[in-house]
Amino acid sequence: MAASARTKPIIYLPVVALVLVSLFPFLWMLISSIKPLRELYTVPPTWIPESPTFANYAKVIFDSNIPRYFLNSIIVSFGATALALILAIFASYGFARFGFRGKRYYQGFVLVGQLLPTAAIIVPLYIVLNWLGLINTYLGLILVYLILTLPLSVWMLIGYFKAIPVELEEAAIIDGSSRLGVLFRITVPLSLPGIVAVVVYAFVTTWNEFIFALCFATDSSVKTLPIGLSEFSTEFNTDWGAVMAASVLMTLPVALVFLGMQRLFVGGLTSGATKG
Amino acid sequence: MSRLDRNQGLLFALPALLMLAALIFYPLVYTGVLSVTDEAGGFVGMQNFSAMLGARLTATAFWNTLIYVGFSIIFQMILGTAAGILLNQNFRGRGLVRSTMLIPWVVPGIVAATTWAWMFHTEFGIVNYMLMSVHAIDAQIGWLTNPNTVMPALIAVNVWKMFPFVAIMILAGLQSVPETLYEAARVDGASFRDEIRYIMLPQLRPVLISVSLLLMIWGLNAITLIYAMTKGGPANRSLITPIQIFRQAFEFFQLNQAAALSLVFFLIIGLIMGIYIKLSEERE
Repeated sequence: MAASARTKPIIYLPVVALVLVSLFPFLWMLISSIKPLRELYTVPPTWIPESPTFANYAKVIFDSNIPRYFLNSIIVSFGATALALILAIFASYGFARFGFRGKRYYQGFVLVGQLLPTAAIIVPLYIVLNWLGLINTYLGLILVYLILTLPLSVWMLIGYFKAIPVELEEAAIIDGSSRLGVLFRITVPLSLPGIVAVVVYAFVTTWNEFIFALCFATDSSVKTLPIGLSEFSTEFNTDWGAVMAASVLMTLPVALVFLGMQRLFVGGLTSGATKG
Repeated sequence: MSRLDRNQGLLFALPALLMLAALIFYPLVYTGVLSVTDEAGGFVGMQNFSAMLGARLTATAFWNTLIYVGFSIIFQMILGTAAGILLNQNFRGRGLVRSTMLIPWVVPGIVAATTWAWMFHTEFGIVNYMLMSVHAIDAQIGWLTNPNTVMPALIAVNVWKMFPFVAIMILAGLQSVPETLYEAARVDGASFRDEIRYIMLPQLRPVLISVSLLLMIWGLNAITLIYAMTKGGPANRSLITPIQIFRQAFEFFQLNQAAALSLVFFLIIGLIMGIYIKLSEERE
């Protein structure tokens, strides 16, 4: 809205620059992924592939461990998202609807998790997980991912829950509903945008996570996609066409989730920040 | 509310609190224990600390971390704020541009790393090709293998990856600036530059502070880009402390020394953040 009176054509100059800078690496990834090896290694590079091919994709899908890592990533991301969502719904409801002693400190404690440098706790986490027999298991990764997803999820949901009129809940309680009934029949359905925002946030964060996966999932039966991709690209003789194809495949789920729910997600992020 | 109701609130929050305590507080305390013991669990005093702090590599890594995080934040804030203000203007296709700008942030870190590594490729990379065709450079540069260019290249990728986040937060902040402020300024004959300087930036102060704090934390956490693109090389020129901790623990298997280094890293970060928060509160 601001400065609408003086919008000039010159504004398109920085706009075009912004779009180019944001989009170019992504486009180059797509272009490279459908070039045959011979064409990748030519100077000058071609902008439009002369002989486009899906051989790189075929190689990734049929001749590599990437599909297995993809499956691992799906399992870990879904598990971690579901667990974070359940815990966050209960915690946020407690914080949003009740007053209790020390609430401020508990809320602060939750947020501290978000501020923690992960590198500072990988060593003890490794020892604890090892002791519990959770190294190289899905469950181990799912649990540690709570550190990354839970704090912000709780924070975002508190904002949404607070925005729901308390009278709605009181009416239901007078009608004989229990607290849990109120939570799951009234509060949660009414904060659906917030729930979606939390799901998207948690899914994207865990899907992209690197360092915990690097330390705690070293066996190829549980390795996630980011680790698989990094190994793929640092092999002695890197096959850049295949790496780019694998990158495209890894980006697709995130891009779909994100673009589909982008408006909701960005709204949730900012409303949580201001209302919390 | 009755007393029962009060405890109910805590009850709801308890599972999440217990999980976080087990995953964060216990490990932190345990780091302290590890840092003053040896592999067999015997007390060794400050031996691990002196071994780590005495190593030349530690100082190098700290310095690299400082450079990497510091320069990243400066450019992320400048670019992000500019993009946020730009996207708050009225122009055709604004919605589409807003979504497009988010791409770098949405693309997984590891994908950004591999894509940029390919673009920075010495012989066949598009970066060298484009720079040479406009005669900005005379010969191919090994961006990620040359000790002098590796850090700037990594910072550039990090800035590219994170500036959209700053822009979105700035945009959200700008949208809550009351329109009347602009109107009043225009009546007084303010130019667009005046509006930025005297309305937008002061109104955005709280957003700028919290966003820069988040960027600092994420920057200090960020192993992905550097590990995937250079693994800390060449000759440790891009080795940052988190990577050093990782190596000490999982490549040299010296968990106790790694714990000592973690603790020092943690304390220094805590100190920096504390000072930063204090300073920004005082200037309110």
